[in-house]
Amino acid sequence: MLAYIVRRVAYGMLVVLGVLFFLFLLFFAVADPDDIARKALGEKVDAEIIEQWKINHNYHKPLWPSIDRPKDNLLVDHFARMLSFDFGRSDADDSVISERIKKGVGPSLALTVPMFLLGLFFGVLLALFVAFFRETYIDRMGVFLAVLGMSVSILLYIIGVQYLVGKLLHWFPISGFDPSPQVIWRFLALPVLVGLIKGIGGDVRFYRTVFVEEIYRDYVRTARAKGCSEGRIMIRHVLRNAMIPILTQVVVAIPFLFTGALLLESFFGIPGLGSMTFDAIDGNDFSVLRTMVYIGSLLFIAGQIVTDITYTLVDPRVRLE
Amino acid sequence: MLASKRTKRERHYYRSQAIPRFGLVVTLCWILQGCTNNPYPRTDDNEKVLYLPFDEAPRTLDPAVAYTTTAHMITGETYATLLEYHYLKRPYTLIAGLAKRVPEAQPLEHGKVAYRFELREGLLYEEDPCFALGGKKRKTRPILAEDIAFEIMRIADPAVNSPVPEPFANIDGFREFSARLTELRKQRRGFDKLPTHQQYAETGAIRGLKVEGKTGLRIILSEPYPQILYWFAMPFSSPLPWEAVAYYDGKKGRPHLADHPVASGPYMVTRYDKQARIVMERNPNWHGARFPGPPGTVYPDQGESGDLEAGRLNAKVAGKPLPFIQRIEYRREKESIPAFNKFLQGYYDVSGIIQESFDKVIQEDNLSPEMVRMGMRLEKAVEPDIYYIGFNMEDPTVGAAAGERGKKLRQAMSLVTDVKEYTRLFTNGRGVPAQSLLPPGIFGYDPDYRNPYRALDYEKAKASLEQAGYPGGIDPNTEKPLRLTFDTPDTSATGLLRYQFLVNAWRKLGLDVRIEATNYNKFQEKVRDGAYQIFMWGWVADYPDPENFYFLLWSEMRRSKNQGPNTANFSNPEYDRLFLAMRSRDNDPERIDIMKRMRKILEDERPWIEFFHREAYMLFHGWMKNVKPSGLSTPMTKYRDIDAKERAKKRAAWNEPVTWPLYALFFIALLILIPGIRTYLRERQ
Repeated sequence: MLAYIVRRVAYGMLVVLGVLFFLFLLFFAVADPDDIARKALGEKVDAEIIEQWKINHNYHKPLWPSIDRPKDNLLVDHFARMLSFDFGRSDADDSVISERIKKGVGPSLALTVPMFLLGLFFGVLLALFVAFFRETYIDRMGVFLAVLGMSVSILLYIIGVQYLVGKLLHWFPISGFDPSPQVIWRFLALPVLVGLIKGIGGDVRFYRTVFVEEIYRDYVRTARAKGCSEGRIMIRHVLRNAMIPILTQVVVAIPFLFTGALLLESFFGIPGLGSMTFDAIDGNDFSVLRTMVYIGSLLFIAGQIVTDITYTLVDPRVRLE
Repeated sequence: MLASKRTKRERHYYRSQAIPRFGLVVTLCWILQGCTNNPYPRTDDNEKVLYLPFDEAPRTLDPAVAYTTTAHMITGETYATLLEYHYLKRPYTLIAGLAKRVPEAQPLEHGKVAYRFELREGLLYEEDPCFALGGKKRKTRPILAEDIAFEIMRIADPAVNSPVPEPFANIDGFREFSARLTELRKQRRGFDKLPTHQQYAETGAIRGLKVEGKTGLRIILSEPYPQILYWFAMPFSSPLPWEAVAYYDGKKGRPHLADHPVASGPYMVTRYDKQARIVMERNPNWHGARFPGPPGTVYPDQGESGDLEAGRLNAKVAGKPLPFIQRIEYRREKESIPAFNKFLQGYYDVSGIIQESFDKVIQEDNLSPEMVRMGMRLEKAVEPDIYYIGFNMEDPTVGAAAGERGKKLRQAMSLVTDVKEYTRLFTNGRGVPAQSLLPPGIFGYDPDYRNPYRALDYEKAKASLEQAGYPGGIDPNTEKPLRLTFDTPDTSATGLLRYQFLVNAWRKLGLDVRIEATNYNKFQEKVRDGAYQIFMWGWVADYPDPENFYFLLWSEMRRSKNQGPNTANFSNPEYDRLFLAMRSRDNDPERIDIMKRMRKILEDERPWIEFFHREAYMLFHGWMKNVKPSGLSTPMTKYRDIDAKERAKKRAAWNEPVTWPLYALFFIALLILIPGIRTYLRERQ
């Protein structure tokens, strides 16, 4: 297995280098530093100030290496910085990007972890429920609601939940964030609810399919013949045997909990990494954007490797070679 | 009876379930108890805390660099300035701030002019760790005249990247200082590693900045520029201690100066999380808190007409020491809809009006009955700006090169652009149609002036077009409608809709105007190369002086020549001569007369179609007191007050949680599920 992991990490490194080169082309070769500077400083500023800004942010250097400047160029700079996790400063507000990431990861996890765990719990529970009542009106209604939930835009959920629960019913603050443990749940209630409503439809559909497939297997019939109760069959046998497809979906999602939820954080005023990325897209903050894309690719590769390893843990038949 | 039939195992099961069920009930009660939409701690309910939203994180709070409205919200309150604007008087009037009085110009030989500022006694900075650099255990120190000189040197320093070196370049020797500093940094090894104040000391002072003792500062301008005084009412020239620059360098866990202001004003920043929350509290070291009395430290007893009726001139508050508000809480709201809803719930004290709710809030240009019932107040303020449609005067068809034909064409196009319809369609009617380039509130604005080319008149326009040689809009060379381009860097759907409105108006004259929407860079390139014909642009004044508008058409400011803001590339020797005469004059009748002559030239030549001045509609809750809006981004929170008790009462009444839908949902769920479960179980049996 070790050889397999080493091989996968090596492949992953190659992918990362490819991503870095693609990012370089996208953010340095295509985007014009003058444009970035003007976006950051405003339209009124003089050309001299733009030039100084470019010097301060290293955008004055040549793009590609040359014989006389093999090291002092943007390509080498970009690779050296990213690989050493020195992300530099934001183009938009000069803040240190690594510090913003450290600061933003907490609020992001505070939102995404409960959303993920509750989503998993209710997704599996409801899927078991509709699978248990398969081919009844509860099953059909469940499928209908799941498809409906998947089809509606998250923006509609956000505005609807903010309006209904926050504005009309006055249950929770419409937006905002306070990290104190006593009150944080009040600020997370609405975004978590929206995340659950949006995500649960797809989860229930997927898990239900897996469970129903398992229910018609021979071992279930045997368990039933031996007098096992339906509830016990669902929890002890069907759920355990349906773990592999569930894990595939779940483990891949875990690394992305760190990068936050773009729209939810933005609309609910949660100062996490999703909100930071949203701001960066909105404000052409290329230095933050390329960092977040790079981190996203690292997390994706890590997620893939971890998923492969977890297969061996839940299913002894799987061997990584 | 039922319990007696249970087996021992069942009894054990029910007992073991009792604790989690009890826990669930307690948790539910706790959640229901905590169910409130109040985003703030209850302890603040009766405090004079001002709650405001902000949508964009400030890029920097360095007073020499900060230039955005959001940044000025903070720097304007924390960095005191030598001069300030009177809170109530209009047109805007300068009063003394840190200085004892507004200085008079003193003419010197060779056309130079001097101003002498004298600082008040006993001025102090807020307590800050940076002052330990000047002596152990030192927590603060007096504000000195040399701190202002230091800040102006920072504006001259290219490494600081200040956006406003131009106006300060009127100070004698400003440019030379900048050049000397740059040269030293290039030539002397390790020079740029020295602390900033040492670098400046070794470079030598700016010739026109004379520090006279601890409190005297004499500024010598190389030519008359009375508008310099306005720049001393902005945080760019606020005193900054050298210790703050040396200490807040971003090293060893210390923040950058850009994120850590050292206050000399009425408020100091006590929490700065610019992505989420900014908190400012009263600065006990502010001179107004220690020595109240002079203007700017107590509430004014004079204003303009209407202030008395609006409750802004009140004997109860006049002469009372400032500030009234204890704390200012800024919360980040990136989306306007949640922010506005929270304002309607009473969780923000002030708000603009979002497009989506405009009809709900405003009816027939006044507050809707619902808003009146809530005790809201609507304040309108015309912004000191101008939005205009410009012609590139260097273009052979629409510009000066086309002579009389070009002029008649511009006049015709001006006569058919309907600004009222434009503002009705695109800005909910917010905006004052512009007759000249001066907005209301600026010296020289004439409310009775009517520009003959800004009244809709299709017949006159057609006649003008015919005189231009384009009868019915037909170009005699091609025998097709005259083709022109409208160039814009705005490619958004809304933007295109707006420009289409203008193009449609010109099409009625028979002209074929095509919209050329490109990205900003491409547009800049076009402007640089002079490859554009018609465009729309806006200008927001830095200070309330007509010079800051008329200079936009001064030939020295031509974009094609000096990369200046004269994007129309307008050049008229008579206009230039009058501009120079107007620029250096005080606000007297002669200045108004000169401006009238300049206005006449623009009226006839039409390098611009003056479009509109933006109008801000601000909503204030009834508990906000002493409210007077200002189009300028000047600090004014110190004058405002809050009735916190009234706010707490109204918030509680407006936000009572509604719980019945929770029970309704529960019963609906039961009604759906129970028959299904019963049927299923019966079938299984």
